[in-house]
Amino acid sequence: MTQYFIRRLLLIVPTFIGITILVFVITRFVPGGPIERMIAEVQQAAMQGGAGTMQSTTSGIGGATLDEDQIRQLEQYYGFDKPVLVSYWDWLIKVVQFDLGVSTRYSEPVWDTIRERLPVSAFYGITTMLITYFISIPLGYLKAIRHNSHFDHASSVVVFIGYAIPSYVVGIILLVVFASNLEWFPMGGFYGDDFDDLESKWEQAADVFYHAALPLMAYVAGSFAVMTFMMKNALMDNLAADYVRTAIAKGMPFREAITRHAMRNSLIPIATHFGNNISVIIGGSFLIEKIFNIDGLGLLGYESIVERDYPIVMGVLVISAILQLVGNILSDICVAVVDPRVQFR
Amino acid sequence: MTEALLEVKHLATEFITEQGVARALDDISFHINAGETLGIVGESGCGKSVTSLSIMRLLPRPAGSIVSGEVLLQGQDLTRLAPEEMHHIRGNRIAMIFQEPMTALNPVYRVERQLGETLVLHNPQMSKDEIRAASIRMLKRVGIPAPERRMQEYPHQLSGGMRQRVMIAIALLCEPEILIADEPTTALDVTIQAQILQLLKDLQQETGMAIIFITHDLGVIAEVCDRVLVMYSGRIIEQAEIHTLFDTPLHPYTRGLMNAIPRLDKPAKQVLSTIPGMVPSLFDTPPGCRFQNRCEYAQPQCRATTPPLEGDSDQHQVRCFRFRELMH
Ligand SMILES: Nc1ncnc2c1ncn2[C@@H]1O[C@H](COP(=O)(O)OP(=O)(O)O)[C@@H](O)[C@H]1O
Ligand SMILES: [Mg+2]
Repeated sequence: MTQYFIRRLLLIVPTFIGITILVFVITRFVPGGPIERMIAEVQQAAMQGGAGTMQSTTSGIGGATLDEDQIRQLEQYYGFDKPVLVSYWDWLIKVVQFDLGVSTRYSEPVWDTIRERLPVSAFYGITTMLITYFISIPLGYLKAIRHNSHFDHASSVVVFIGYAIPSYVVGIILLVVFASNLEWFPMGGFYGDDFDDLESKWEQAADVFYHAALPLMAYVAGSFAVMTFMMKNALMDNLAADYVRTAIAKGMPFREAITRHAMRNSLIPIATHFGNNISVIIGGSFLIEKIFNIDGLGLLGYESIVERDYPIVMGVLVISAILQLVGNILSDICVAVVDPRVQFR
Repeated sequence: MTEALLEVKHLATEFITEQGVARALDDISFHINAGETLGIVGESGCGKSVTSLSIMRLLPRPAGSIVSGEVLLQGQDLTRLAPEEMHHIRGNRIAMIFQEPMTALNPVYRVERQLGETLVLHNPQMSKDEIRAASIRMLKRVGIPAPERRMQEYPHQLSGGMRQRVMIAIALLCEPEILIADEPTTALDVTIQAQILQLLKDLQQETGMAIIFITHDLGVIAEVCDRVLVMYSGRIIEQAEIHTLFDTPLHPYTRGLMNAIPRLDKPAKQVLSTIPGMVPSLFDTPPGCRFQNRCEYAQPQCRATTPPLEGDSDQHQVRCFRFRELMH
């Protein structure tokens, strides 16, 4: 077992290299890279300048672009002068030393930017996960033992709506109704402007949750449906299992047979689910982060792609790839812990 | 006559299904005495398992329910007990083992816990050490080598035969008066089957418990039972002491079953006979005798009315209008 996990950990290295090399190469060949953007910016500035003064039009638009020398300097700066694999290697060596480079947009170390954003997304992710478990496990349990009752049907309607509407749509609706119209909650942000002036830790926490209420609802709406059905189905299967009948034949009351036998086995698929979702949990959803203007990792990754801020793109990729790979292993460990039949070799 | 340990009287059990109501048991009456082994035999689907589940009140709810009749355990009607009272009967006074030892144990708990659970339920005053000691003793009694080690194993680490032994150990922990064994050897290899049958016989000798032994295999019945019920389509069609049944089977269906067993005392080349036709589904049972549409001796009377179960329940009973003529 230990051997298996050591092997899995070692396998992270080639997988990680595979993922990053692919994206690195793509960033090289996708049009609209940082140099092209810079040229475009210079052109735009020149055109506006030209239109404003009506004087320096003699050299035409072409003269306003960067000259060969400047472009070569920029290429050197971004490492575009070398073959792609060589500059990938340079990048990798730096990553191993925890140097993710400098953002072209913020001119700040990428690592610092990510370190600032990660806790925000992680806060939402982990809180969402806890709330989801807190709703889905008891709800799935009740639906299973009252299968086909009015309660089961009524709650299924809610669950299906949650399943059918994408979470960002839920987010927009919540925003329009509760923030814009009713003004019960703020429009967005992670905390209020007066956060630093708040007296106690409690007030600060209350402020964070006040801002978090709507986005959390949107996140939970997106995740509780699947989890609830997973719980219900697993429990239904296990309720019909022979070993539950054995437990009752031993003289165990039905309720106890459910909680001691059927529930335990129904948590196996939930445990598997957890590890697989860890990168989503911590990485955040860029759509919801965008709607609620939350400075999280998802939004950062999205904006950096739009802005062709490649050091940040690669940095976010590094973090989410590692989270995903470690999450998969964590998931296996969870399964091995809850299910003794699972033997890893 | 002394009071029987368990007496089932006119038991009827129904299932509500999408196709309608299915009467899985119809007018089932039998008894079992202390220390006796009663066999229940019949083709698959005839209602053997439903009989045992009805006695234990383990019918799948809400589809299945006992609609009439009594199940008297030393005179106490189990069908009228409150659910909490039933918890003290199950596993304590009547225990049960099932066909599939592979799935009857919970895969995520160790053997120790699955044994101990029964003792905790029925003997709450026992200490942990006492429970452990009693569990190990019981594993030893059912012939499990190195019981201390087995206690710490999970079901998937045991073979099918070992698992069935564990099931038997669980069932016998509280020294029940009755053990219901529902096809306990059907899923096992022939050699393991013989070992388990021998084990049950030995344990019965030691404890004096009564066994209700359910099987579709008359060969197994011949090995372990004192008396036999033959069931067909939810009814008892013949009931007799074991030798009587094998020497003078009365019902045409029983005779058909007997002819279907290979015998060592007959020439090997003889083709095994099978009963022509199929067991009727519960939704189109023929009127009158349920076997009439497969019976070569059927007469108009058999198609019109249900024959009564005639004879003395301690000796030989049969549900057939024509058994007297057919005896010779
Ligand atoms: N859960 C159920 N729902 C509906 N019908 C059932 C159910 N369980 C058993 N039956 C019916 O009861 C009859 C007897 O089944 P069973 O006692 O399991 O047969 P066997 O003699 O093979 O053990 C079968 O015809 C079956 O269709
Ligand atoms: Mg059966």
